Amino acid sequence: MGVALVQPVRSVVRQPEEGARPGGNAPEDEAGLARRALGGDRAAWNTLISRYQHRVVVSLLARGVRVDRAHELAQETWARLIQQQQKGQLTELRLPNLALTQAAFLAADEARRARRESLAGPVEELPEAHQPVDPSVSAERRLLSEEQLARAQVALRECSSSAQRVFQLACDGQELPHAEVAARAGLSVQRVRQILCEVRKKLRGALEEEAP
Amino acid sequence: MNQPHIQPADAEQYVLGALEPDAAAALEAHTLACPPCALVLQREALLEEQLREVAQASVEEARLEARVIRPARWNRPRVAAAVGVVMAAAAAVTLLVLRPEQTARPGTQDEDFPMMALPLELPEVPERLVACPDLTSQETCASEALARGLLVQYPQGVGEVPRYEGHSGIPTDALSATGPYPL
Ligand SMILES: [Zn+2]
Repeated sequence: MGVALVQPVRSVVRQPEEGARPGGNAPEDEAGLARRALGGDRAAWNTLISRYQHRVVVSLLARGVRVDRAHELAQETWARLIQQQQKGQLTELRLPNLALTQAAFLAADEARRARRESLAGPVEELPEAHQPVDPSVSAERRLLSEEQLARAQVALRECSSSAQRVFQLACDGQELPHAEVAARAGLSVQRVRQILCEVRKKLRGALEEEAP
Repeated sequence: MNQPHIQPADAEQYVLGALEPDAAAALEAHTLACPPCALVLQREALLEEQLREVAQASVEEARLEARVIRPARWNRPRVAAAVGVVMAAAAAVTLLVLRPEQTARPGTQDEDFPMMALPLELPEVPERLVACPDLTSQETCASEALARGLLVQYPQGVGEVPRYEGHSGIPTDALSATGPYPL
């Protein structure tokens, strides 16, 4: 993939404000890591990559990218970010959003090129139908309609307050490991995962509900 | 493809990052050979992305509510201190004397927050409406009032100070109250 095609990811994609975080040491730790990574510290990059790699892969899977390609695109995402850092193009490192944006861009770019190539060749050589969701369509837009979001929020408020807290800790973008969520919520890791599955089930139901 | 098909629960555990590396690798390998299972995995991944959106929207919502309790403009450090004091003082007075029709706000924010709709719906100042005029205790006062189901009357943002008139019928005691003061 030609570097010229890469959209420079300079913009800062903001996570929820620090003040919205539920406390603890993770934010400082995160800020320190980001600072070191911006300074070119490879170990810091490796820590960040291992922390966010799975999240990036899952985001690509959600776009219909095959799992092997998702891993490759995730690797390429990090390579691009490190390259940008080395060129001094990164002034801030807000993760995982920056990585998710870069990955979405790579996936959309790849889908565009695949479409172009397939249109130029014979129909029999069309790429396998491995993109049930067109990444270029969903790269920027939100995934939920206002109605779905409202229904999901109602369903979330019906969960116990501790379940809501676990859900927020696990899903608000900080990518806290489940062990950390468990420690903050005073629960076992197993219980945290059980709660997450229960909340997912409830929200899945709310999202799949037909609009009245 | 000899492996059994993927169960949604397995795909969910994969997405949550709860599978052992071997199990995760086996699941991934299976999806490469089995399009229906790839779709199962995609659905779980998509749900995960959607749930992130729900979680972030809740964070946004909490932040908006926090902004209503204590408008950010009231204590923005970049406003020169002196100007800030004058504006905050004006805001505190406005807090007490705003007429109901003057508290109408743009309908774009916090549609469901009770104190927004209230002045428009009720011609009279309701009993549950309180003021928190003391700047030093305003934040705790407002939290206390909200916790007790009372409605704190605030002026509009301070950047554009709303019109107000002297002190029309507001008890002077309200000015020195450190807790919620009934209007
Ligand atoms: Zn299968």
